[in-house]
Amino acid sequence: MENQPSRLTAIALAFMAVIWVSPFSWLILNAFNPLSTGQLEIPRAFGFDNFGLAVSGNAGRQFINSFIIAAGTATLSVVVGISAAYPLSRLRIPGRNALLWTLVLLRMLPSAGVLVPLYFAAQRSGLLNQLGVIIALTILNLPFTLLLLKNFFDTVPIELEEAAYVEGASLLQIVTKIVLPMSRAGIAVVWFFSFTGAWNEFLLPLIFARVQDAFPMSVGLYAAFGQQGAINYGFLTAFSILYAAPAVGVYFLLRRNMNTGFAGVGVKG
Amino acid sequence: MRNQANPWLTGNLFVLVLGMLPAIILIGALLYFTAWAFAFSFTDLALVGKKSVEWSWVGLENFERLFTRRGFLESLWTTVIFVFFSAIVGQSVLGFLLAAVLRGTQSSIRSVVEVCIMLGWLLPDIVAAFLWSATTSQTGLINQLIVVPLGFRPINFINEYALPIVTIANIWKGTAWSYLLFSAALDSVSREVVEAAKVDGATPFQRIWLVQLPIIRPHIATNMLFITIWTFTYFPLIFAMTGGGPGRQTETLAVFLYNQSFARGNLGFGSAISVAMLAIVGVLSLFYLRLLREPK
Repeated sequence: MENQPSRLTAIALAFMAVIWVSPFSWLILNAFNPLSTGQLEIPRAFGFDNFGLAVSGNAGRQFINSFIIAAGTATLSVVVGISAAYPLSRLRIPGRNALLWTLVLLRMLPSAGVLVPLYFAAQRSGLLNQLGVIIALTILNLPFTLLLLKNFFDTVPIELEEAAYVEGASLLQIVTKIVLPMSRAGIAVVWFFSFTGAWNEFLLPLIFARVQDAFPMSVGLYAAFGQQGAINYGFLTAFSILYAAPAVGVYFLLRRNMNTGFAGVGVKG
Repeated sequence: MRNQANPWLTGNLFVLVLGMLPAIILIGALLYFTAWAFAFSFTDLALVGKKSVEWSWVGLENFERLFTRRGFLESLWTTVIFVFFSAIVGQSVLGFLLAAVLRGTQSSIRSVVEVCIMLGWLLPDIVAAFLWSATTSQTGLINQLIVVPLGFRPINFINEYALPIVTIANIWKGTAWSYLLFSAALDSVSREVVEAAKVDGATPFQRIWLVQLPIIRPHIATNMLFITIWTFTYFPLIFAMTGGGPGRQTETLAVFLYNQSFARGNLGFGSAISVAMLAIVGVLSLFYLRLLREPK
């Protein structure tokens, strides 16, 4: 059924694609224009000066901060998630589905709602720093991570594990040699979601990071909007591109896994 | 049903429970914090000043204020409009149409469209807000390419059409999720079924409406559940674009909650808003889950 789309459909699709990317024109025109004024215009000069500004000093540190928070949250979520989701999937724990869905529902509470108690707790335990942000984001991610990972583990046929056991494999071998490789796509999806979620997170670091040295890029960008009244659009657009790049990059790296992984997000009650 | 008598599991119960321990602790923390958020909704706790230390229990006063003072109900209505047009009409319908049209087409067009809509989805919220503010500004793309060449005076869209602009920005940003989910769902519909319908003389429209849609109904319900709730509580894009203004035109519940809690410092009232939001989200979820469970 490899039907070619009609010419009309193809034109409509192309038109839509152009509209979809058109807002980026302003971003790119300004970022590569050293004399940027924030207007939409064809630059008279071309250069990478803005990117130079956007990787040095404070901006560079914010990039590292964002990366630490995002990679830390994603890895911690996946490790904690896997070690709990496998037993959840295999052991017959009464009411586990109802429990998981309740937790997911609870997480639908806007994060501003739990922000106040989270802040008080972090303040008391001296965690108003990046480690605190990582732990807080992991807590907030966990219900969703557990539900997704459990659904992926459910799709691994238990007969394979049985066969491995008969051959003399230990629990650790069964998990690392069979279960994890077979749910690789799902794990990639979960890692990716946690990574981009933490990379984009704005509200939590805004309240947890008190000093400018600890700002991740989201807070840095927001703060830079109003710096000294005058906005340096060239710097901001270049900074925005650098800020957006990793999430886009990671997606295209994991793209093949993502598309299979999405099938599993599907149904499962 | 899984069999409890799997020896590699029963022999290692201790290890398995140990593995669950970190998650149990973190979930416990989540429950603890949520319980506190609930408790705060019955107090007059404030962010700063005397009432941040010497707060007291005020019973249901915060919840009465939700309905007696201006703000909450207007905000709820704004949220309903925003969710309906951006999530349900925009993202879901557009995502499904794209998935249906692109299914089985040659891969180059498909890749180009996929990459384009994914770019919006992958873009951090703050950058997306920045981008759309620039695009709809008086010297922005829409004015320079469409409004001015047609002989009109440039329009300050973000001031005059705030809610539609925020809605469009959210459709732009979120359609990829629905597209990916529907795309995966349509792949699971076997080709034979569709072919059979074609042989029986079903039109393309009938093939989608009568054959594919009923089969992927569970996916539709799941998608609706996720995007409704996400959009309902979505905060950064609107906050960074308009801050809820002009006036209160784009003050959805999430922005209202932030403004009340952190800009005005009424943490108690803010908590009551989030409890009300949770109740609404809960009712919606039950509705969608029913849709999901119902036999075909």
